[in-house]
Amino acid sequence: MQSTSTEVQHAPKPYWNPYLSGIGLGLVLLLSYVIMGRGLGASGAFSSLVATGVSTIAPEHAKANEFYNEYLADTTKSPLKDWLVFEVLGVLVGGFISGALAGRIKTTVEKGPRISVKGRLFYAFIGGTIMGIGAKLARGCTSGQALTGGAVLNVGSWAFMLAVFGGAYMIAYFFRRQWK
Amino acid sequence: MNIPFFKYGLFGDDVSLVIAFIIGIGFGFFLERGGFGNGRKLAAQFYFNDLTVFKVMFTAIITAMVGIYYLSVIGWMDLSLVYVSPTYIVPQTIGGLVLGFGFVIGGYCPGTSCVSAVTGKIDGMVYLLGIVVGIFVFGEIYPLVSNFYNSTPMGQITLSQLFNIPYGILVFAVVLMAIGGFAAAEWAEKKLGNKIVEP
Amino acid sequence: MKNYFPKLSMNKKLALIAFVLGLIAVFAGNPYRGNSVTMDAKELALIIDKQADHVSSEELADWIVQGKSDFKLLDLRTEREFNEYHIPSAELVPMTELNEYPLLRNEKLVLYSEGGIHSAQAWMLLRAKGYKAVYMLFGGLEEWTDKILFPKLAQNATPDQTAAFEKMKEVSKFFGGSPQVGGTAEEISAKKLMPKLEMPSGTSAPTAGKKKKKEGC
Repeated sequence: MQSTSTEVQHAPKPYWNPYLSGIGLGLVLLLSYVIMGRGLGASGAFSSLVATGVSTIAPEHAKANEFYNEYLADTTKSPLKDWLVFEVLGVLVGGFISGALAGRIKTTVEKGPRISVKGRLFYAFIGGTIMGIGAKLARGCTSGQALTGGAVLNVGSWAFMLAVFGGAYMIAYFFRRQWK
Repeated sequence: MNIPFFKYGLFGDDVSLVIAFIIGIGFGFFLERGGFGNGRKLAAQFYFNDLTVFKVMFTAIITAMVGIYYLSVIGWMDLSLVYVSPTYIVPQTIGGLVLGFGFVIGGYCPGTSCVSAVTGKIDGMVYLLGIVVGIFVFGEIYPLVSNFYNSTPMGQITLSQLFNIPYGILVFAVVLMAIGGFAAAEWAEKKLGNKIVEP
Repeated sequence: MKNYFPKLSMNKKLALIAFVLGLIAVFAGNPYRGNSVTMDAKELALIIDKQADHVSSEELADWIVQGKSDFKLLDLRTEREFNEYHIPSAELVPMTELNEYPLLRNEKLVLYSEGGIHSAQAWMLLRAKGYKAVYMLFGGLEEWTDKILFPKLAQNATPDQTAAFEKMKEVSKFFGGSPQVGGTAEEISAKKLMPKLEMPSGTSAPTAGKKKKKEGC
């Protein structure tokens, strides 16, 4: 992938000290709890999106399915008029602002040197699919369970967090070609 | 102080969506600051080269945890109004393992892939597409897995209730664990030659 | 200590702060408010004085007839009494379960009991717990029975009273009651048969479609 000319002139700034980013992230999470009484999330927004999509194409099919129905239950408003959907829209904007300020916006494919772009994109797609299934089975993702539930000492969230790291370390060796 | 504000009815649903958007901006901003928009940096966590993911995540958790704890202890916040999602221990653990696999294979999780996609990473965009497909697959097989999905319910439960340990002591234990983990992470990175992934 | 702290690297400073905050947490106590509540006596007195703490049976009947669903109706009596009769759309919440019952701070709650004492006590409790929009049904189920289910028209009624009664007749029939004209008090009370427990036709159950979506990820 090629990068555009304006971005080449400025070298991207390094990432922040992880503990400072962590404190920033933690304060955002705290703010969400203080204002809303709930934490952050991400995968829930995609569920709303999928449920909306399915119910647009096959309304009867969606209605018969308990999983989609949970996102469609409130018939008084669109399922996309949802807290998490708006939060994720904010994430897109916030990520872009931070990236733009640090000169880190660049069309590229993140990968190790030993894998082709096609191969990497194939794995990204497969990984995303697996992640989608896992996140729904676990009732949340790294944002909605690990981070959010972790801060209020939620039992399921801590079990989930350990399992995520466990699962990832378990198979990391077999996928090293992709990254190293 | 009536914290959480929303649960005390200080504003309605429409305002809450505006707040969601603003909080999301903060969320996305700090994810990107920490390097979470970069699949190489996220994956490096699992090869012990760059333990940023662990550091950022646990710093965030203890910051919010300590904040929530103190706001509640001084009586400004009603902790019982904070949403604790119900625990289904077995499906959540299995889901966590599956999600861990997806993390290593794809390089992102849902939140970080948003940041990655919006900062121009093609793999992040493809990954997002994968998530949508994955959720669709889960939705379609839901009737088959719903029994498992709803198995081993434990209700809304915290570690403090499960182990019958006072909340404050657990807060201290988690902080200690985190600081110990950070020290170990710094040591490991140095040991492995500081292969920190930069943009 | 004073000279030592500034010399530390930033990471170590942060770690030290986290450690101290964590250590204090061990001794700071339980973050849950538990079963004790606090109340603002003056604020409560003012609300009571302004009579902004109750709704009349007529108002409530109106809301239900119109199919309003922006409030939750809570029946504080026992399960047996609830099963015999309750106002349509009411949810059973025995007094002992009030503390644990999942209610939102930002929804309108209407309480009723047989007379008015239990609902007044529950009203105090919920107000003290920070529920702002709590109301009790004035006169309780007794008044509801008299005014809505079995309204009566005295034989020597004024035209105004007759007009009001005509209006009320419709409402009463809606709830399955039977309006009474004339007769002595004993006669009327003998005929009182509580309506069957069915949602009156013509309204959608206000609770349907309100299932709260989970807040998680």
